[in-house]
Amino acid sequence: MKANKYLLLWSSAATLVVLALAAFDENVTQEWRVLQREYRSRLEPPAAGEFAMQLRQVVVPSLGVVDRCPSCHVGMAPGEKGLPGDPVFSAHPDVGHDPANMGCVACHSGQGRATEKADAHGDVAFWPEPMIEPAYAYAGCGTCHTHLGVPNLEAFRRGIERLERYDCLACHRVDGRGGTLRPGAQGGFEGPDLSHVGVTGFRTDWYDTHLEQCGKVAEPAWCTAFGPIPEPDRAAIEAYLASCVGAPGLIEAKALFHSSGCRGCHAIDGVGGDDGPDLTRFGQKDPALLDFSGVPGEHTLPNWISAHFENPQRVVPGSQMPALGLSASDVERLTYYLMSLRGAGVPGRFWPQDRVRAEWLGEREFATDGATLYEAFCSACHGPGGEGMRYPGMAAFPAIGNPDFLAVASDRFIRVTIEKGRPGRRMPAWGELSGGLRPEEIDAVLAHLRKLGGVEGPSDHGPRRWVAGSAARGRRLYERYCAGCHGREGEGKEGPALANPRFQASATDTYLVETVQRGRRGTSMEGFAQASPVRPALDEADIESIITFVRTLESR
Amino acid sequence: MTDRDDVVGSSESRLSPHPVARRDFLGLGALGSAAAAFLFATIGMLRLPKAAVLPSPSRRFKVVLPESLPFEEPYLAPGRHVALIRDAEGVFAVSNVCTHLGCIVKPSATGFYCPCHGSRFDRTGQVLAGPAPRPLPWLAVRKAGENTYVVDEEKEVPAGTKEVA
Amino acid sequence: MSGRSEAPAAVSAVRRLGRNVLATPGRLWASFSRAGRPATDRSRSKFVFGNVFLHLHPARVHRWSLRWTTTWGLGIAALSAFLITLITGVLLMFYYKPYPSAAYNTIKDIHFVVPTGRFIRNIHRWAANVMVVTVLLHMARTFFTAAYRKPREFNWVVGMGLLALTLGLSFTGYLLPWDQLAYWAITIGANIAQSPRELTDALGITAYFDPGGFQKLILLGSTDVGEEALIRFYLFHVMLLPLGLVALLAVHFWRIRKDGGLVRPAGADERLGSVDPETYPVFTEAPDKTYHLAAVVKGRTPWVGRGPENTLPAMPHLFYAELAVLMLVVFLCVGLALLVDAPLKELANPDLPENPAKAPWYFLGLQELVSHSAFMGGIGIPAVVLVGLGLIPYLDRETHGTGEWFGGPGGLRLVALSAAVGLGSVLGIEAFAIRFGWLRTWWPDIPQLVITFVNPGTFLTVVYGVFSVWAVRRYDSTRAGALALFTCFLCGFIVLTIIGAHFRGPNWEFYWSPSHWPGH
Repeated sequence: MKANKYLLLWSSAATLVVLALAAFDENVTQEWRVLQREYRSRLEPPAAGEFAMQLRQVVVPSLGVVDRCPSCHVGMAPGEKGLPGDPVFSAHPDVGHDPANMGCVACHSGQGRATEKADAHGDVAFWPEPMIEPAYAYAGCGTCHTHLGVPNLEAFRRGIERLERYDCLACHRVDGRGGTLRPGAQGGFEGPDLSHVGVTGFRTDWYDTHLEQCGKVAEPAWCTAFGPIPEPDRAAIEAYLASCVGAPGLIEAKALFHSSGCRGCHAIDGVGGDDGPDLTRFGQKDPALLDFSGVPGEHTLPNWISAHFENPQRVVPGSQMPALGLSASDVERLTYYLMSLRGAGVPGRFWPQDRVRAEWLGEREFATDGATLYEAFCSACHGPGGEGMRYPGMAAFPAIGNPDFLAVASDRFIRVTIEKGRPGRRMPAWGELSGGLRPEEIDAVLAHLRKLGGVEGPSDHGPRRWVAGSAARGRRLYERYCAGCHGREGEGKEGPALANPRFQASATDTYLVETVQRGRRGTSMEGFAQASPVRPALDEADIESIITFVRTLESR
Repeated sequence: MTDRDDVVGSSESRLSPHPVARRDFLGLGALGSAAAAFLFATIGMLRLPKAAVLPSPSRRFKVVLPESLPFEEPYLAPGRHVALIRDAEGVFAVSNVCTHLGCIVKPSATGFYCPCHGSRFDRTGQVLAGPAPRPLPWLAVRKAGENTYVVDEEKEVPAGTKEVA
Repeated sequence: MSGRSEAPAAVSAVRRLGRNVLATPGRLWASFSRAGRPATDRSRSKFVFGNVFLHLHPARVHRWSLRWTTTWGLGIAALSAFLITLITGVLLMFYYKPYPSAAYNTIKDIHFVVPTGRFIRNIHRWAANVMVVTVLLHMARTFFTAAYRKPREFNWVVGMGLLALTLGLSFTGYLLPWDQLAYWAITIGANIAQSPRELTDALGITAYFDPGGFQKLILLGSTDVGEEALIRFYLFHVMLLPLGLVALLAVHFWRIRKDGGLVRPAGADERLGSVDPETYPVFTEAPDKTYHLAAVVKGRTPWVGRGPENTLPAMPHLFYAELAVLMLVVFLCVGLALLVDAPLKELANPDLPENPAKAPWYFLGLQELVSHSAFMGGIGIPAVVLVGLGLIPYLDRETHGTGEWFGGPGGLRLVALSAAVGLGSVLGIEAFAIRFGWLRTWWPDIPQLVITFVNPGTFLTVVYGVFSVWAVRRYDSTRAGALALFTCFLCGFIVLTIIGAHFRGPNWEFYWSPSHWPGH
């Protein structure tokens, strides 16, 4: 019995010790308690006395928000004052949203219910959405906002450039820059901060008002700082101002994305190619589901994305994505934009205006001018100027800006090609049900193409099929001169696939004959109407025979 | 009661009293009817845990294939565990639920593989390796418009049944 | 006393009321304890059998039963673990909501903001594991001391039921956090329940007779693990299985008493030697009452007219032992709970199987077998093992070695040999299957029915069976066969569980360590 008594004594004593340790751990050493003690010690005496040590949270049932972040970030708790400049205790910067109203996780990700730093920031195993790193903080806006009508980078940068050229920053501040000139010396007037002007809106008659003001006040600073601005520059400035939504750099990143042609392969919200993975909500991807074996540095989503931009095949073996040779700052910007592709689970009634306009009213998040559309959807494969592209390990992409092509290709041919694509080849169908482009957008792209080549299309009247040559002779000629690039059965190799049913359906005989005759300058397609050192010129009958043969490929 | 073989000698002792009368019809009838009532009630209760209609969402659904879907590449119907495959002969649907223990198989270079116990299937669902007892079942597919198909998860069809695209 | 009560008029009712009020605490205590302070041997005995909770114990207990080496306290340890899960489980029910959209969040809340919540959940989880381990060890102890023999055969069968309920409780609790771990473990478990289809499919009768599909449907209430499954598992976990377990426990304990207490070898009294002088002697004073039991218990020699030699009062000897075991288990659970948090992975995602998806650890041995044939590994072999275990006391009717560790013909030597055979064959066949694959690797078109009946699991079962038949013949003893079979299966279970837990990685492929898994 003595042994049992000792056993009871020791095990009970040990249990007591464990329980005491657990109690100490829970009631004294927890991170938020330590932090709140420090916060209290830094308060002035009356406030320090009133400060209650407790878990603090933001609960918004309609949004499903239960965020306990203010337990440590006490300055952001409803009704508490922040300690300015402190990395943990400062109040939330004014971004138009108060965390007390909508919580923290909607924008920043992380684990709202957690009360310990590593868990809350999501730096633990088994939390799919770690916090967005501070460098990409504004990517969180993408949870709810969809900025509309973002032009391509060139148009966007033109706006910044004009803003600076016309010295607007002398009086106005944008994202913390400018506003140095204070007409009327100390205490004089200065222009309003324009950082959020894309959200708050601005007067459409701002230019006239400024001119008027300029004449009225007769303040010398006005007259030196503000001069006449021609109409196109005003438009560029206005386009830029519309993008000032208080998320520095984000809209520029989006403009860069649109200029890089990413959407030629990647769809977002149903618009874009389907060669690459759909990028909708890519910014909320669980890093644990990604393979980091080819990614240097920490296992974070931004790291994975930028490593992938630098060398897609190293990060995803077998990836079809070409290395784009981007500069480090562009990689950074595109990563930033991808991180902003978010949006899970916010109820519709909380959507901001821009999102409603995008998703319910059908407005576009890209500008719908031909140049922006062409850059966003076509330029990655066909080149920014329509000069075609050649990526290692891939067949060359056609030079659709080539004047020789544009001269023989009718508008109808190009439109149908864009709309229906080339099944089996890399050209996706861009019609509204597939790639998501609307007819008027396709027209805009077409118009832009014509502008690139400077060539009007031929009229499309007359019979679509008229050649009547000898298919047997055509086959011989085809195998000698064409099969090398287009494949023996027209399956396409280096050159386009001639047997493709969509191609056969949309290309007229006139188009085919003329293409063979003229060729495409600057590409491998020669003009066969002229002789070359290695072969004689083909006459019209030869070419028509070839086309007759090419037409027989359709049924195979 | 003690074991029968432990009792030695006369059965007329206090330890082994007379058995009750054998023909107690009233008692038997009463006990029997009680047993029957309980049995009936039990059968009724056992029916409860199996719902007459399962609460799962409809197992028939429509799916639109992307126009540019290459031949023989599985297209995973969003939110469903079914892969649709288009080839020269037509379109067919292969269940993506492993026939071994119900994990969701994933497309691989040669077909599908199951992450739970390593079963491998080819594109038509035939077992190549691993513990899966049966091929992945083919599901009924019906064309309902251009690139649009209706898949019925309830209805298995023999492998090789393809809907002409 | 009597004088006062005869003169009621002398004291008014109000005064008496006042006196009663004052006397109530003492009277309450006196009425509570029935026998007064348990100071003497007799009052201690009365204390035990006069108390509804304690009278499950005998008033006196044999000194053999109190030796640590007799039982190692495993039964009490299992009970203690159960009591801990019961208490912590009820506490967790204050917060837990059995609904998919809420369940995971309530676990997070329990973890992060409920005072002591994380600790309590950890204790619950650890106690559940401790319970499974102690139940298994308790079964092994009972087997190796041949304690299942007459008259305790049926209590062994009850014990099998308790083992099944323990595993069931642990398994149903697995789903409740509704995380990835839970979701996929239960998906696998539910499909193991469906695996008789493997057999019915092979016979082509699934359309008419589908016990597998029925089992899964009853378990999940739907075709997949979803909200119906969660509420069912909750019902099983907090209501049906605990009720069943408590009922069976009552039978189990009651039978211990009725079957004559703990088993002891024939020569126990001689081997114990003389009584420790510090312990209480038997019947120091002449009894004015003999204590009696409620019924005549089984056994050769009812203690009529004889003093209960070599017994000690349960109070305090047995109670110290039991309390010591209880506190040891409590210490183990709270200590583990302080050091290691109960797991909680991401929210369940029905579209994304865990890779590897692993069942609870005590099923990983089965999962290892299941990776060849779902039916044989998940249903066939476990059923054979459970039925075989249940039948042991009816097949082994010998008496030699009862109450002795590894008692019976062959003894420890046979157990060691069986362990060698058991370990050797399971390691051999696993190494072979891991290195060279199995039938389908060689003949991809082989029918499943062949694999169902020829796989490492059935191979082991046959080897173990043949070996134990050899033991029966070699020692001319059924007990020797039982010893060989039990030891072999125990070794097989342990090895397969370790392989499944530690050496299996993504796609259930073999890895020497989880640190070698790809993507880590």
